[in-house]
Amino acid sequence: MNQAIKERDYFTDHDVLLDPYAYFEEMRPRGPVCQLETHDCLLVTGFDECVEVLRNPTDFSSLNSLASSAFPLPFTPEGSDISAQLEQNRDKYIGGDMVVTYDDTRHTNIRALISLMFTPSRLKANEAFMREYAEKMVSDVVARGRCELVHEIATPYVTMVIADLMGVPAEDRSVFEEKIAEGQTVGSIDDPDSPTDMSAVLFIAEYMGRYLQERAAKPGADLLSELATASYPDGTKPDLIELISLATFMFAAGQDTSAKLLANAMRYVVDEPGLQQQLREDRKLIPFLLEEVLRLEGSSKATHRLARRDTTIGDTKVPAGTQVIVALAAANRDPRRWGEDANEFKLKRPGIKQHIGFGRGSHTCAGAPLARAEVATMFNTFFDRTDNIEISASHHGAKGARRYEFEPSFIIRGMDNLHLELQAKN
Amino acid sequence: MAHIYLTDTEGREATIDIIAGNSLMQTITDAGFDDLLAICGGMCSCATCHVYIDEGQLAQLSQMNEDEQELLSLSDYQQDNSRLSCQLRMSDALDGLRVTIAPAD
Repeated sequence: MNQAIKERDYFTDHDVLLDPYAYFEEMRPRGPVCQLETHDCLLVTGFDECVEVLRNPTDFSSLNSLASSAFPLPFTPEGSDISAQLEQNRDKYIGGDMVVTYDDTRHTNIRALISLMFTPSRLKANEAFMREYAEKMVSDVVARGRCELVHEIATPYVTMVIADLMGVPAEDRSVFEEKIAEGQTVGSIDDPDSPTDMSAVLFIAEYMGRYLQERAAKPGADLLSELATASYPDGTKPDLIELISLATFMFAAGQDTSAKLLANAMRYVVDEPGLQQQLREDRKLIPFLLEEVLRLEGSSKATHRLARRDTTIGDTKVPAGTQVIVALAAANRDPRRWGEDANEFKLKRPGIKQHIGFGRGSHTCAGAPLARAEVATMFNTFFDRTDNIEISASHHGAKGARRYEFEPSFIIRGMDNLHLELQAKN
Repeated sequence: MAHIYLTDTEGREATIDIIAGNSLMQTITDAGFDDLLAICGGMCSCATCHVYIDEGQLAQLSQMNEDEQELLSLSDYQQDNSRLSCQLRMSDALDGLRVTIAPAD
């Protein structure tokens, strides 16, 4: 007898956390756009449909992108266009004063400032620092023969790189590192009433305010100076509060996601047959590795949107006021887009650059070029300093039966820890 | 209202209103033209928002920086009138700009 599978709760179920992909495959037969039973929102698992939502900022607001679709609207939507109601209620949304939730001109203005931040020439100028710092961190752990990649390498590394780029004074960097380490994850599944804690963000914002005022008075060559002296496209100057919010977000946003990407990628490098050797012999393949890992195990599982006008996704009618889970991780494994081997790792997969691991459209992750540079630098450094890297069987079990712990977040896909054994270069 | 004339990769033509301050990339993608991939979202990092500008109008645009020049040089479809649309800010002065979406690499 057929028994209907009970729908699991994406926002709180620990089994979904361990394997979100199995959950998305359970949901996929319900269609690329389906209504959840557990929450009053739509789940979009289709690649084309996710891209359609992300590229339609006219009809879909980003106001709930951090708060998520798990909560009911804090007002009753009225009519076919609720844009004004959304703005009236912006202060009720977590992160409603951060760029990730902005819409329209306010967002365009801030993105114009961000677009200067991680250009290829700026990253190139920072290459020497990124490389030297990676060398130092990796040589220390290789000498020991092992490391816990997430906390000993990945997280402090990305904090130091963004701090250097922005021009955060050296003496304050460890303070930030500690504060970020203390903080709760974003989108915690263990705290359903208040899944995102902003205390670390508020702490950092105080420092950013001071730096920005100092740089406005005496600009240097760093990103904070550039922000402090920047203008919007129409020539007007951003106010200080807006700049503090932006600088804080840029500093804090990339921490977890970039760090998790390194760990997610390392799992494949070690466990995918022959891959480690192939990459060691041809470093030009590292960017292809990263793109395929971003597709299969991107650091953000989902983002959220809120229909502010009556609209459609594919053939599905979507009334104003509907919340939408844009399941990036599901879209990136949609067999209609990627073929029947969508769940498998395949280096140089055709069309790989079109994955939406970093999102798509006007809110595409601005730090993506930096994250790619950081993780590629780390892999090059590890390969230079070691002859072999293994995942610790005593911590994670034998190959084929690994056990991992994941950050308890419905937004982030990332391991809590990854213990490695490192064989130094002969 | 000021507007641009757009031709997509399949030769379809459209007239799109300009919103001053938006990038040309945003102008095209917000109008629903999917063949401008614009993967990096305007960070001058991917070269998937490559367009051709009517040659007679090139001088009206801002100068290319080194990053844009380098990214375009990697495209198989680079022409003398190539630009990355994420690098171009729209203003009413660009009324009548003729733009063609370049083939994807």
